[in-house]
Amino acid sequence: MLNLIKKDLIIQKWELLVSVAIVVFYAIFARQLSPFFIFLVASIFLPLNAYINEEKTKINILWNSLPYTRKEIVTAKYLGAVLFMILSIGAAGIILYIFNYSYTIRDMAIGAGLFFIFAAFTFPLFYILRPGYIGTAIMIGFLVFSFALSFIVPFVTENFTVIIQFLAGFSTLTLYLSGAIIAISLYILSWTVSQFIYQRKVF
Amino acid sequence: MKNVVEFKGVTKHFKDFSLEDVHLQIRQGCVTGFIGANGAGKSTTMKLMMNLLKADAGDINVFGLDYASNEKEIKERMGFVYDSNVFYESLNLKDIRRIVAPAYKNWNDKQFFDYIKKFELPLNKGMKTFSKGMQMKASLAMALSHDAEFIMMDEPTAGLDPVFRRELLDILQEIMEDGRRTLFFSTHITSDLERIADYITFIQKGKILFNDSIEDVQNRYALVKGSMDVINRDVEKMFIKIERSSYGFTALTNDVAGVKAVLGDRVTMEPATVEDIMFYAKGAEKQNV
Repeated sequence: MLNLIKKDLIIQKWELLVSVAIVVFYAIFARQLSPFFIFLVASIFLPLNAYINEEKTKINILWNSLPYTRKEIVTAKYLGAVLFMILSIGAAGIILYIFNYSYTIRDMAIGAGLFFIFAAFTFPLFYILRPGYIGTAIMIGFLVFSFALSFIVPFVTENFTVIIQFLAGFSTLTLYLSGAIIAISLYILSWTVSQFIYQRKVF
Repeated sequence: MKNVVEFKGVTKHFKDFSLEDVHLQIRQGCVTGFIGANGAGKSTTMKLMMNLLKADAGDINVFGLDYASNEKEIKERMGFVYDSNVFYESLNLKDIRRIVAPAYKNWNDKQFFDYIKKFELPLNKGMKTFSKGMQMKASLAMALSHDAEFIMMDEPTAGLDPVFRRELLDILQEIMEDGRRTLFFSTHITSDLERIADYITFIQKGKILFNDSIEDVQNRYALVKGSMDVINRDVEKMFIKIERSSYGFTALTNDVAGVKAVLGDRVTMEPATVEDIMFYAKGAEKQNV
């Protein structure tokens, strides 16, 4: 199974450089950006790209013809994504440090948390949808998301003090811990859903 | 003789097509050709064999093992050549080796590079620059490098130029020499079968019509020609299909002895080629082909 994770690195040897370049670009030209956003982009780039790469070809036929089980194929993707995320956040941390871009461990944690949530929603799409439709789906998703945001943002601003008071009731630790638990639970749920779909997939 | 693959009562339904109660045996150490018209169910059968599809009913055994509990072991011993490129188009063979080789326990690098040399394949060019024949050779090299006992090929000769097709058939013949391997390949080109196949499996509209040695097939079937006046209801029953013309009739039979006994010298009989059988079986009037 380690081979399945490793192959995503072999296939993406150029993308590896691209992801470094993206972080360097942000570090130089986007100094007003929240650092957690850079961590999120850095962590999601390789795992998402691994899926997009495989969407184009009949590559699933190859993996399923090699001595791997379907379970291993999905597991490798989800575990591999976590591994890439950790490595990418670490690498991004080093790059930002070199470029004197100030950030905290908190930014890394938020970036990782958002990674889990984003991945939890996008990864199953690659198993549910037919190749070629995923781009459209993400586009529609983005429109729906921004539409939803146009309702959420005014709501948050109007009720800002109430929300802050509510959140202030918890300790920082509780907040972070519950955030982490929610994000990771979503990821595990997403993994289960993908597993279920992939077992039944027809190639 | 042992069977490498065994289908017992396999059924698979799709919206507009279904495979019905398929019984199929692929014999060890032999070359089995798989023929049938487009859409007859060849690809579906092969996908079921690779566990890319799951059967609705029936049992599929490969090497006497079932996929439910031995998937990895089966695939470890199997090689595959598909009719389209299943590898990453932008990768070259060197990189493809790096991702495929670790999947197999008994991968042999030396063997791989030997075959690449023998097949005259470039190691540093992207798969997208490969011709259909080169892609197929690459797949075959990979199947041979992990010493696959059973190699399944989906239309390996389709779209190849005649010279290369001959070369490929020679290669296939060569890899069969030591008698350890079993080859199963689908094709449209019936002359391929007559060259290298020991057994023929014929599928039509999701049903296996026969699964016999090439000799049996040739002995059992014959083309019968004669004038229309010998045709009556009882005679018709001996034919799979009758083509009538103003000069007389040509018909395919699978009951050579019966025709000889009843019609004797009143008709002439010729050996039927695989192509004749395919042609006449299509739209056959009786079902027991």
